[in-house]
Amino acid sequence: MFRPFADWLADTPLSKTLQDHSWVVPTSQSLHILAVSIVFGSACMINLRLLGVGRSGRSVSQLSNSVVPWMWGGLAVLLFTGIVQIITEPVRQFVTPMFWAKMMMILVVGAMTALYARAVRRNAPAWDAAATRPWTAKLFALLSTLLWLAIIVCGRFIGYTWSFYA
Amino acid sequence: MNIANLLSAIEDWPISAVMRGETPGTEWVFPIVETLHVMAFTIVVGSIAMVDLRLLGVASRNSAVSRLTKEVLPWTWAAWIVAAACGTLLFLAKAGTYAGNLQFRLKFVCMGLAALNMLVFHLGAYRQVAHWDLGRPPASAKVAGALSMSLWIAVVFFGRWIGFTT
Repeated sequence: MFRPFADWLADTPLSKTLQDHSWVVPTSQSLHILAVSIVFGSACMINLRLLGVGRSGRSVSQLSNSVVPWMWGGLAVLLFTGIVQIITEPVRQFVTPMFWAKMMMILVVGAMTALYARAVRRNAPAWDAAATRPWTAKLFALLSTLLWLAIIVCGRFIGYTWSFYA
Repeated sequence: MNIANLLSAIEDWPISAVMRGETPGTEWVFPIVETLHVMAFTIVVGSIAMVDLRLLGVASRNSAVSRLTKEVLPWTWAAWIVAAACGTLLFLAKAGTYAGNLQFRLKFVCMGLAALNMLVFHLGAYRQVAHWDLGRPPASAKVAGALSMSLWIAVVFFGRWIGFTT
């Protein structure tokens, strides 16, 4: 169903221009990985803090308020470099279920993170004290970590699975 | 025994054949190890960036440098060990090809320079960290942070480029 769209996209002048420059995909992928470092690193900081692993001088709300903006910035870079890769090699992305699984999980983890950030902003004192922290905090931390790990796996495996479906 | 003989001997190891996916059932070993390598180095790069950005005065300006490094660097080293172990396994698959690859060599030059930079920083500016722990880092510390960021970004770029040139 997405194959005709992928073929059409691959045939557009923009895609053809990007395909003609062999540095576009590796450069875009390298920037994508650097942004993954920021986003995954930030997610790990928040999640480990919520799970009570490691030492931290900062409260949950202080940590979240300073880290979450970096996550949104990193996600913007991921989105941009991801779109560049989709336009340049649409078939490679759209044919493999790994790509779609990755997109679904990004939507879920993105929405979860936005809800989390809003909850912490609205009720910082409750989140800062372990006793009053909502029970959903640990669940969020665990799910978010697992989703990000699965997203990285799917991202890397797009490159290894697409040729089966193309 | 010269280097070329050593590299071809390494490629003959049974584990190297597994990494190349030659044995039936081992086709996915390389992608899985590569994914673990990616996960680990995102933590390496992300955590180093936290310290570098603090030294550059961009982020964590309210955190003491010594406290930040004590919290973050154990995670950096743990992740680095995983990344290095997985990287070694990846190398075994095509030892001769990688050893002769320009991007692979440049990646290791950059990591060597990053190690040297870290050593100079720890034996230099960091010795007097008590004087600037909560304030503005001295110029030499800023230079160390800028060099570290640049070198690790280069490591990621060269690393990704290996996959396109081997």
